[in-house]
Amino acid sequence: MMEKRTRTHVRHGLSEIIITCILCLFALSVLLPLFLPWLFVFKTQLEYSYSPWSLPNKIIWTNFQEAWASIRIGEGLLNTLIVSLGAVVLTVPSSALAGYVFARYHSKKTEILFYAILIGYFIPIQMVLIPLYKFNIKLGLSNSLIGLILPLAAFNIPFWTLIYRSFFQTLPKDLGDAARIDGAGHAATLFRIMLPLAAPATVLAVLLVFIAAWSDYFLSLIMLNDQRLFTMQLRVSQFLNSYGTDRMPRYAAAALISMAPTILLYVLGHKWIIRGTLAGALKE
Amino acid sequence: MSLKMKTYDPLLVRRQAKRSRNIFVFLCVLPSLGFLALFMYYPIVETFRLSFMKASGLGQDRFIGFENYRKLWASAEFQAGLQHVFAWAFWSIIIQIPLAFFIAFSLTFYVNRVSKPLRAIYYLANILPSAITAMLGKFVFSPTNGILNNLGSQFGWKWLSALDFLGDESLAFWSVFTVATWAYTGFPIIYLMARIEQFPKEFKEAAQLDGVTGWKYAWYIVLPNLKSAIRILAVLSTIGSLKLFDLPYMMTVGGPGYATVTLGISLYRQGFINWQYGRASAIGVVIFLLSLIFTILEFSGKKGDVE
Repeated sequence: MMEKRTRTHVRHGLSEIIITCILCLFALSVLLPLFLPWLFVFKTQLEYSYSPWSLPNKIIWTNFQEAWASIRIGEGLLNTLIVSLGAVVLTVPSSALAGYVFARYHSKKTEILFYAILIGYFIPIQMVLIPLYKFNIKLGLSNSLIGLILPLAAFNIPFWTLIYRSFFQTLPKDLGDAARIDGAGHAATLFRIMLPLAAPATVLAVLLVFIAAWSDYFLSLIMLNDQRLFTMQLRVSQFLNSYGTDRMPRYAAAALISMAPTILLYVLGHKWIIRGTLAGALKE
Repeated sequence: MSLKMKTYDPLLVRRQAKRSRNIFVFLCVLPSLGFLALFMYYPIVETFRLSFMKASGLGQDRFIGFENYRKLWASAEFQAGLQHVFAWAFWSIIIQIPLAFFIAFSLTFYVNRVSKPLRAIYYLANILPSAITAMLGKFVFSPTNGILNNLGSQFGWKWLSALDFLGDESLAFWSVFTVATWAYTGFPIIYLMARIEQFPKEFKEAAQLDGVTGWKYAWYIVLPNLKSAIRILAVLSTIGSLKLFDLPYMMTVGGPGYATVTLGISLYRQGFINWQYGRASAIGVVIFLLSLIFTILEFSGKKGDVE
């Protein structure tokens, strides 16, 4: 038993301790800016300007209320939720269907189509911004959430088509063939057998597309003008412009509120988030 | 009801099967292709066309050949953008990748109780929306009220409280870059870790048998085997720099002067502040062509690898 333990866990003594301490310091420097706002957020502006670095005298919540009201965070969260769910609903099914076909139906034509979609993966969004904006005006979608959701979906589809394709390729080929011999049609095979098996890929796709859409800034900035439609990220940048750091406690409150959804999602799902990110990167 | 005799013509059956197969393939690919056609292929063509036009959204577009490109090349803003993009890529590669290698190697070499939580913490800043990252960046670097200036004045460190991290032309770039390093080093860390964990077990065992330990192992065995991984990271950094917009725009709006202008910011200014669609499209084409070149470099380099 002892022997087994030393085998899996080689001890390195002093060097391990020193390096681990350095690594912990790095981790601390990642976490510090995320936690430091808590020190200021419970103070009044007066208290902050006299003794910013002391612990707060008493816990007050007015800064949260003010920050919430100043950029109407409730409205922002709702808009961002609509945009993110919309992007998920449009991206994930489209990618799954296309990925399945590219994995299982090989022909000259499907290969050409696959490369056509793959190209999208390499197009920087900056490249197409002006025509997208003009196109949205032409369609009457400018300054609407759907006008933001559609191009967001388009830009996420190539990557997830790629991931679904390689996921379906790892499933044993006999599975689909057996179903086909039993008389199931193309669609039945896909929907009854293959898609349920692709659940792990779907979980990753839903999570990461949601996060990507949630985090978007550039495209939202171009597409949305009406302040009522602003997503969280636009409201954050609005807060930076119009309120700034003059009143630090309120600033800290705004920062803490607006990072909360992402942090919460990460704490709950970091395993899948990291796995999904790597699934893409290691495929390249 | 009369029963018709069904005749099975094998050719007909096969043709029908092929047709239903083709219809199925077409229907599956249609949504993706439709999205890309409308929101990617069409705008790509349109960007190329607009880049040769004088177009402002008002009145008729007019063909002017390479005039937009010539004007860009002569403008101080575009030159500054180009310079910063490459400086940004250079320093990302010089600073972030070695840092990531150090952390990734250490975490995979010394596996202990904190390894897993540390990896999760390092990647955390990566998934924060850029607006939040910019907000935290200003929280630290803002003049007077920012954490650093505030610390300086609290403790009477004049040298610190006097630094204008975002307003000083020689400092602004580095302040924004520091924030980016804080936020984006997480990805190279988890990527290199994953690549190291893919190494065959014999690597480490053989090294231990031969008495090659610690940094010699990192330098002579791990690093050479990460060549392709590091090249991919370098290309990704470069392409990321070409697209850079969010952080410098929200933290400094490209200023002071042109101190933190990037190609993305230049595009935004030309397109959506000066309403020069033609010139903005030309910047889009430049960003596209440069990232295409670096992508091709990555793939052509990959071919030489024996993996």
